[in-house]
Amino acid sequence: MPPRLRSSNLSPTVASCPPARPQSISQPARISREFSQSSCRQITLRRRKFYEWLNGPGRALKQPLPNSTNYLGAYDRYGNLVRASPGWQAKRTPKRNQDPDKESGLTEKAENEGEKPEGQESADDLEMAVRRQENAEKEKKKKAKGEEEDRLPPETVEDLRPFPLNKYFRSQPVLSEELREAIYQRVKRDGASVSLASVEFGVSNERVGAVVRLKQMEKEWIAQGKILAIPYSKAVLEMLPTTPRIDPSLPKNKGKRPITHEPINDLIVHPATRQQLFVPVAESRHFTRVDAGKAFDNKLLPADDRIPHPELVQVERELAAGLSFEKRRELAEERLAKEQEKKKKEEERKQAELASLKTVPQRRWDFVFKDVSVDSVGRNGRDPKGVGWRYGFPHEDRKKGQVKIPTKVEA
Amino acid sequence: MRKKPRFHSLKKLKVRQDWSRWSLYSLSQLKPPNVTARTYFQQKWSAKSDTRAYHGEQIQEKKWKRLFRRNLPAVVPMDHKYLARYDGSEQAAGRGAGADTQEKPRTPPMTPYMQMAYYPIERRLDTAIFRALFASSVRQAKQFCVHGLVKVNGKKMPFPGYMLNPGDMFQVEPSSVMFATGAQKRRSATARKVAKEKAAARAESREKAQASTPPAERETFAAREEPTPQELKKHMQALMEDVENVLNEDVGAKDKQKFRAFRQTVKKAIGLWKTASPETISTLDTQFSFLKDHLASRSAAPQAEPTTSEEPTSLLSPEDQQKLKTAFEKLRLETEHTSAWNKRDASAPYATPWRPRDYMAAFAFIPRYLEVNQNICAAVYLRHPVARPGLAEVPTPFHIETGQLAFNWYLRRR
Repeated sequence: MPPRLRSSNLSPTVASCPPARPQSISQPARISREFSQSSCRQITLRRRKFYEWLNGPGRALKQPLPNSTNYLGAYDRYGNLVRASPGWQAKRTPKRNQDPDKESGLTEKAENEGEKPEGQESADDLEMAVRRQENAEKEKKKKAKGEEEDRLPPETVEDLRPFPLNKYFRSQPVLSEELREAIYQRVKRDGASVSLASVEFGVSNERVGAVVRLKQMEKEWIAQGKILAIPYSKAVLEMLPTTPRIDPSLPKNKGKRPITHEPINDLIVHPATRQQLFVPVAESRHFTRVDAGKAFDNKLLPADDRIPHPELVQVERELAAGLSFEKRRELAEERLAKEQEKKKKEEERKQAELASLKTVPQRRWDFVFKDVSVDSVGRNGRDPKGVGWRYGFPHEDRKKGQVKIPTKVEA
Repeated sequence: MRKKPRFHSLKKLKVRQDWSRWSLYSLSQLKPPNVTARTYFQQKWSAKSDTRAYHGEQIQEKKWKRLFRRNLPAVVPMDHKYLARYDGSEQAAGRGAGADTQEKPRTPPMTPYMQMAYYPIERRLDTAIFRALFASSVRQAKQFCVHGLVKVNGKKMPFPGYMLNPGDMFQVEPSSVMFATGAQKRRSATARKVAKEKAAARAESREKAQASTPPAERETFAAREEPTPQELKKHMQALMEDVENVLNEDVGAKDKQKFRAFRQTVKKAIGLWKTASPETISTLDTQFSFLKDHLASRSAAPQAEPTTSEEPTSLLSPEDQQKLKTAFEKLRLETEHTSAWNKRDASAPYATPWRPRDYMAAFAFIPRYLEVNQNICAAVYLRHPVARPGLAEVPTPFHIETGQLAFNWYLRRR
């Protein structure tokens, strides 16, 4: 059999995306190798496509956009920023004029939408509205200054998708530096309770605690003169969407409410409520949430008690009942007193527990002695709460396959 | 033994948990699963293999199977006003006798439980470090743990598989974070060549510029004289405007344009005097004292002359002087700030001055179950990730059907 004719070394025509032909294709496609008759076009084709994408549509993702997020979901297949006006694109690549009408129209719309953030349905809509408003304001300021810089319109939900295929995930805003500082000051300097700060700033209870803890540590670091990662922090916060701080006490923020960062009254879906239940109930019966909870599980409390801020419900109820201001204040003070009593008791209990321990300090570690009871092993002597070596109940920590990774670290 | 497949292969595109261009490319090429032409087993298999290549590929399949939970956590946001106003009986009330309403209540969006299949992996320390943007890949985060650069609640934690509990604080060495997320230091042959070419081009342009500028410069030198009071006043007004701008700015702010503008005007104002040469007024302090002295002398000298007595005295009032001084102080602080925090440093393992690495912005997001303080490179794991109406908190790049198929793969009875 005669050797197969080699095809000419013409580079195959590749359908390329319109905006930019790739500048650097690493090497021309080799049709065949010396040692083999089979072609290796597949591999080079893939690599070529990779570089084509990287130098074409993927180019815009290499650097962060100034004052904006830069996610894959914000671009179309050809690497055009969907939300940007054509003028912006033109300005970014070569220098060209853009039409100001469209830009101003967009901002107008954004302004109208962002007028009342509290009127939105869900917290997510709200946060979007707030972002829009913020950006619109920035824009206005720029306009007022008379700068000839055209800015991007604010992001929509689609633009915040780092994974375009997953419609159920998006990059949610994080707390801005000012807001963190404000929360810290409110809790540490003004002595507000965590739940109060949570309601005021629209930030969940756990997050308030975490912010205070982290800020405290940051201040300690500054006091110790440790090196902070300032450039990193700045760059990251510029890449992420952030919730700005709105201080209602300032005159320019008159009539504005602080922005809700996240929904604060999240009810955890109890496993007992996952099933579907059909409970026949007499029409005459007053069947409330409490009864519904009982139908699922006898120990299931109603939502009013399981949400993180039951005191808000209480206040609202008193308001609806038409109680006078003095009466309501009286009730609130009563509740506060009860809460403080509880806290005090807890503190006392902790102190008593600590006092019952006997500590003998050593060079590296301390010996801590604690009174135990032999009866804690239970009736069959196998209760894990039992202390010390028990006959017939071996330690398993030297056994194969026992995991030694700690399950918790004391704070 | 079979050769291990490439981590980033163009032949089998897999999305990996890192910030590389290969991951970005495979993200852009992802498609929803083909559910028509393949058997259910095939669909589940490929869904499982795709998702596992992203979620915890460093964990053995056996270990992951033990981690898997079929109960997925979710929350429902409640409205406290609604809870206060209604006790729930209105939903159970009879629908007869005209109690039906025509308007349909708004149905809340679907809760995407199926995107939460891999939520136990998000609890791992290495994954949490990656999600807090402290490492550029999960493998790197794992290495940080193993190398002892990670602390949990202030104690060193060398296990990447440590399962974080709600309320745990983890912190990574800031220099390692800067290394992981910063642009790479590179001195390859091509980079060297490019740098050389650029330097040559710069030198050439400088030569050209020098050839054209000297006569102009000489002219300005010749023209420079003691400024007239009108000129001085105009410049002082511009200067004070910039001073206002600078004073409104806090040190270390993102917008450095104001500082730059202020510096420009100061230079311009000083450029009026012919006695000023660039060497004598190079530092900020000398610039300030120079300005002050000359303005004071100008305002003192013409006081004898009746014609121009008014303008020079109003040139620099004591308040204005104070303001100018604070502005200079701020400018000095700002320069110190940049030089202290982000200076050129040949010994650093990343490109200095620090800048984020390529393609970082496309992957930069922080899920809500973490609260991060970037300044100290510490974060708190607030709670386990949850699904809520219309939103799943586990960051997964796959289509919801892929997630469903993968969940079903692990659901099977064993």
